Amino acid sequence: MPSDQAQDLMTSPAGGVIHDRGYRRYEGPRLGRAQIARGLCWHSLRSAFGIGRGPKAKILPVIVAVTMCLPAVVNSVAVARGGAPVVFYGTYLFPLRTIAMMVFVAVQAPELVSRDLRSRVLPLYFSRPLRRGDYPAAKYVAFVLACLAMIEIPLILLYLGTIVSAKQGHGIWTQTGELAGGLGVGLLWAVLLAAIGLALASLSAKRAYATGSVAIFFFLTWTLAGIIYSVAGHAAGPGPALATSGQRLAGLLSPFTVLDGIRQWLGGKSPGPLAAPGGYGAAYVVMFVVLLAASVGILAARYRKAAEQ
Amino acid sequence: MTTSAEGAVIETEMLTKRYPGDITALDGLTVSVAPGITGLVGANGAGKSTLIKILLGLLTPTKGRAKVFGHDAELHGERIRTLIGYMPEHDCLPPDVSATEFVTHLGRMSGLPATAAKERAAESLRHVGLHEERYRQIGTYSTGMKQRVKLAQALVGDPRLLLLDEPTNGLDPAGRGEMLELISRIGTEFGISIMVASHLLGEIEQICDHLVAIEAGRLLRADSITSFTETSRVLIVEVEEGAQRLADELSRRGLDPRAQQQRVLLRLDGDVTYDAVRDAVADLGLPLGRLQQRRHSVEELFRDAGEPAYATTEATEVSDAV
Repeated sequence: MPSDQAQDLMTSPAGGVIHDRGYRRYEGPRLGRAQIARGLCWHSLRSAFGIGRGPKAKILPVIVAVTMCLPAVVNSVAVARGGAPVVFYGTYLFPLRTIAMMVFVAVQAPELVSRDLRSRVLPLYFSRPLRRGDYPAAKYVAFVLACLAMIEIPLILLYLGTIVSAKQGHGIWTQTGELAGGLGVGLLWAVLLAAIGLALASLSAKRAYATGSVAIFFFLTWTLAGIIYSVAGHAAGPGPALATSGQRLAGLLSPFTVLDGIRQWLGGKSPGPLAAPGGYGAAYVVMFVVLLAASVGILAARYRKAAEQ
Repeated sequence: MTTSAEGAVIETEMLTKRYPGDITALDGLTVSVAPGITGLVGANGAGKSTLIKILLGLLTPTKGRAKVFGHDAELHGERIRTLIGYMPEHDCLPPDVSATEFVTHLGRMSGLPATAAKERAAESLRHVGLHEERYRQIGTYSTGMKQRVKLAQALVGDPRLLLLDEPTNGLDPAGRGEMLELISRIGTEFGISIMVASHLLGEIEQICDHLVAIEAGRLLRADSITSFTETSRVLIVEVEEGAQRLADELSRRGLDPRAQQQRVLLRLDGDVTYDAVRDAVADLGLPLGRLQQRRHSVEELFRDAGEPAYATTEATEVSDAV
């Protein structure tokens, strides 16, 4: 009878059909909290590059990665033709790296945090065997790794492109030492930029606002540092090109110049965007710590509140 | 009910939660929930969601204690969360991933290894009635399908207890029926205990073994479903004229009717009541328009039934169903 058949299958308005098949218990192994957090970190790292999302999500990460790698390729061609290196490990191409990282952090940080806020997925994470700090910690580690990949992979390409043309072992040794320094600076960049990016992005569930707030913060502070620097330079009047105190302190205003100030203070030789901080180097380290602590603090507080809502 | 029931799924003892600004969400709630399907009823703002958050270990109670499977919620939230599946009241799904990907990911977050998460995600989605459409992006789903995905993600980790917060929210009557049937099946056939929070008593009492009613953070009553629905039914008799005459006649026959415009309401005590109504209507020769059972609103139902509270006629709802 057709009516019997209709009764066997309960049809939902959505068109779904419920078949009655038995429920199976899960008896297998369960992962602990640390492994779950690692899983979340890996998931977030992939999403920072648009992996596991649609093709559109991959466009920007690819553009930034290619832009960042281009100077390394150009440099290796130049070196192979016997020219002098044009890109340095410590600064890479400073304006290019700054703009590329501004864009990457501003666009991808919301990908990691604002999406979950917007679709209100957080209660589903918090109702699982994670602690409330695990979620932001996993997101932060993932984004640091993503920024590291963006910064360090071009440096490694730069290194490889240079040493294939090196004539003697001595050259390779020097290059390796400089690469190590460059990687260290890159780590400082990643740690600070990821923290600032996530902290600002986590304050808004709307992606556009999140991107806007990160971009505006980076751009305004960067511009402000530049303006103060040049004003302080003019105030000194014409004369020998010695940086004034104002100039040495102007760099404190932007995360990017703070990072470069620390590099120069630590003995980085290649010329940076601003003059070396000279005697004010410690202030740059303090500023770095303050920015990092504030960002991590905002991020932690944001999710402590979210867990209770 | 006592607090030290053997094998209780949930136990709370003088549980109190005050929010800043002197808002009391829970006020000395002491209740014990046995295995099976339990309805948690109360108006919006009665403290249902706060109780759930405390049971999940996400909120710290101001006073008192809560235990889930014997584990203290404040101290062992992490352990408890391996045993609980939670379905929030509000939307919590990202629009741009498929149900399969989403539930698989949350399965991993429940502690399942990658392969197991995939398998169990497929199974959970099948159990809630999502098949081919599970590969589509969630943004394209109907409300009913989204509710099913929310249920599937709660089920994926093979919990011992499901906490469902207003699972029929936003569904049409047919969708509500299906969701309730699904919950009932999970509770009875899958052997998973369930606590369903709802402001619609009439709806969840169909599927619950037990009922816990709270109001303003306090316990109104906790009992098995049969122990009060039997005594709580009301019969509505609608006549086109002569409601008052009918009421008088029924009083004479020893019932306790209350006339209300064209209706007479009376406590339903089985066939005796029906027989009395039939005889009274026949004797008076009144045109009978409607004969219908209904239940009290939750407050009437759980409060001390000193006097028959027939005041409100419509709705088994506690409050506005938004």
